Amino acid sequence: MNAPADPVLDIRNLTKKFGAFTALDNLTLSLRRGQILGFIGPNGAGKTTTIKILVGAMRPTSGTATIAGADCVRDARRIKRLVGFMPDSFGAYDNMRVREYLDFFGAAFGIPRGARAKRIDEVLETTGSGWMQDRYVEALSHGMKQRIGVARTLLHDPEMLILDEPANGLDPQARIEMRDLLLKLAGLGKTLIVTSHILPELSRICDVVAIITQGKLRAFGTLDQIMRDLRQKRTFEVQLCGPAQVETAAAAVREALEPGEREGVKAHATESLVRFDTARSDTELAAILAALVGRRIDVSQFREIPKDLEDAFLSVTRREAPAA
Amino acid sequence: MIPVLSREFLGILRSPRALAALLAAAVAFSLLVLARWPAGGIVDLSGAGSRGAFLVFAAALLGGVLLLVPAFPASSIVRERNQGTLLLLFNSPISAVGIYAGKFLGVLAFAGLVLCTTLPAAAAVYAMGGVDPWQQIGLLYAVIVVMATLSIAIGLLVSTRATSPDAAVRVTYGLVFAVAFLTLAPHALTRGTTGLSATIAEWLRRLSPLPVVMHLVGQGGAVGGGLLEKDAGVWQFIVGGLGLAAVLAVATILQLDHRLFDRSRDAGTITDDQSLWVRIVRRLVFLVDPQRRKAGIPVFLNPIMVKEFRTRRFGRFHWLLRLAAGCAVVSLLMTLAATNGTMDWGVETIGGLLVILQIGLVVLLTPSLAAGLIASERERGGWPLLQSTTLSGWRIASGKLASVAWTMLLVLAATLPGYLVMTTIKPTMWNQVMLALVSVLLAVAMTLALSAAIGAFHSRTAAATVTVYVVLMILYLGPLIIWAFRGDPFGEQVVRGALSITPLGAALSVIGMPGFTQYELIPIAWRIAGTICVASLIVYALQVWRLLRPE
Repeated sequence: MNAPADPVLDIRNLTKKFGAFTALDNLTLSLRRGQILGFIGPNGAGKTTTIKILVGAMRPTSGTATIAGADCVRDARRIKRLVGFMPDSFGAYDNMRVREYLDFFGAAFGIPRGARAKRIDEVLETTGSGWMQDRYVEALSHGMKQRIGVARTLLHDPEMLILDEPANGLDPQARIEMRDLLLKLAGLGKTLIVTSHILPELSRICDVVAIITQGKLRAFGTLDQIMRDLRQKRTFEVQLCGPAQVETAAAAVREALEPGEREGVKAHATESLVRFDTARSDTELAAILAALVGRRIDVSQFREIPKDLEDAFLSVTRREAPAA
Repeated sequence: MIPVLSREFLGILRSPRALAALLAAAVAFSLLVLARWPAGGIVDLSGAGSRGAFLVFAAALLGGVLLLVPAFPASSIVRERNQGTLLLLFNSPISAVGIYAGKFLGVLAFAGLVLCTTLPAAAAVYAMGGVDPWQQIGLLYAVIVVMATLSIAIGLLVSTRATSPDAAVRVTYGLVFAVAFLTLAPHALTRGTTGLSATIAEWLRRLSPLPVVMHLVGQGGAVGGGLLEKDAGVWQFIVGGLGLAAVLAVATILQLDHRLFDRSRDAGTITDDQSLWVRIVRRLVFLVDPQRRKAGIPVFLNPIMVKEFRTRRFGRFHWLLRLAAGCAVVSLLMTLAATNGTMDWGVETIGGLLVILQIGLVVLLTPSLAAGLIASERERGGWPLLQSTTLSGWRIASGKLASVAWTMLLVLAATLPGYLVMTTIKPTMWNQVMLALVSVLLAVAMTLALSAAIGAFHSRTAAATVTVYVVLMILYLGPLIIWAFRGDPFGEQVVRGALSITPLGAALSVIGMPGFTQYELIPIAWRIAGTICVASLIVYALQVWRLLRPE
């Protein structure tokens, strides 16, 4: 993916080493204003290290990272104003109500008292948390805490939000609400970096995705671009009218495919379908379909199974696994 | 029970503080023997040297148990509950009795291990001669084991009720010290009287191990202004202590079930939304209603300081008012006791007791407030959030210190009425009172700075609190123990040097407390306190800076 013309986030050759261990290896990526970046990778891949460098909590060994022109190392104070950071731990304080909690962080960012009260109302409204303003923070459910965490990051109206695992531990309903909230924030013009292990959630909201393993960026771009770049085989399913012809159909498909692809043909009698992976073109696939029909096999559907972010992630991580 | 016991015992052994405790006990008691071992080739036929060594040995043994043991049971159950492993234990075939016994015996086994490291020293004391192996050394160990048992029972009971490990540690230490020391106070106040109150006071005194230990070392009545005189009742303490421990154990076991988790979330009731009648009543009851909706933090106040007050259970204003009122009442009662003629203590003794009350409050309250200033942020995940704000290290460090300093000053100010009454009775004491107050203020500063500095190096509040309590108890109680044994075995110079370490000795000396008047401790004690204070503040500031800078 080409670098955007006016990147709000610009990371170049970012490297972080802990002694002999390289946690982050030459990471380069950029992000446009208003985009949502899904930052994914297995545990220990280097996501948190990257985030820590971006929020000024860690110094890189080499390379640079800038947010809206501010260097994450040299302009640490400006970075704090530009970035709203939500770590994976909530950071609750005992005996504090939600409004007091937000008031404290508002004061910590130097927002004047009058403007702060107004701003707290706004962020509570944005995150749909107004009704819990008098609740004690430690008594909130996990989903409520995540909402308050997002509200906290919004207090000083930052340009970029960095959210570490915002959907972690949420129930399905809360995940949907969190997804809607993130889209709402993007709609407000915020640039978002979101890490998550719940990939289907990310694929629905992210404009761009970065897949990182072992400290290296393995894939970066829109989901479509990543799928194309991976050049992986496509998966097809042949749905039959009944289970009787499943084995015949599987044999016909095997005959039509290259020897290396034949092992991937699976016959599922209970579901009355045949599934296979192939790198063949659409014209060649049309020939396979014609061969099936020619053998009087009752095909009700011939369809490509769409790949999602989870498949792309697994494809990348499995590809890199032998190197580990 | 066995799995719980082995996990508890091994868990304690694996912790750094356990290693530190064992090492400290072994080194301290070895040094004790080395210091007292006759080196000149002259046999001490009178046994005085041996008895002197036994005195210090017994005091160190009791002090060690009081300081080391409560920390382990205090955090045992509450930590498991917060981590979720207690629920797993409840769902296992192990009964509540088994869980309790496992935890109890695990900590007791560790206490036994610590006591084992002192056995060579006990053997050496016996070898010096003049000390009976069963009637003195054996009974001393029995008393210490009973005190350890009682401490563990108190700690486990508190741990079932507490919501956080550090709160449990604070309350447990408070209760253990109350059993050890405060139980002597009613007896002192009712001395020479008869009736129900005197009988109750006498029974309360039996719960304290101090008179028993002093009796065993042959010092009954020699120290404490008569607090420890008469028959010490060794067996009464042993039976009473074990009985109380058994009652506490039953109370704890009865609570060890799923009801521990059956606590609903606070609905967040706010007084502003209540009826006018409720608001008026709450205003009258609380003066400053803790459930009212707060105004935002003013820009001229350090937000960290305000946050610290608000997040502290006892930092809320209504609690501070109660604490201050309590201190004022105690201080006035003590002065009243001296002036109404029922006691023959004299103004100087009352002044000394006021100083001890103030320093006691400082030593008891300051670590609970200051030790976790940084550790609690790191433990609860607040530190990365503070790092991400625009607050400078100076604002964070000073705001946290200021929150404790104001609290302590308020508490100390509440004890001033007692001094006012004293100076009214005896106007010539004005200068002495002023010097004593300066010493107390220095004690506050030193204790606060030291607590904050030590606590800043911990990432767990409970561990920070325990470490700070141990250090402060050694600093403040150590010199008093040395003073209690002035003349034999400690000489004038040693006592003077020990009393100079903290401003407590200086304050007692200038106020004219009997037993302290011969020591000139000002300005040396002030200089030492000032130096410790400044050095601790520098260490604290450097640690905050180190934690805030990028990794």
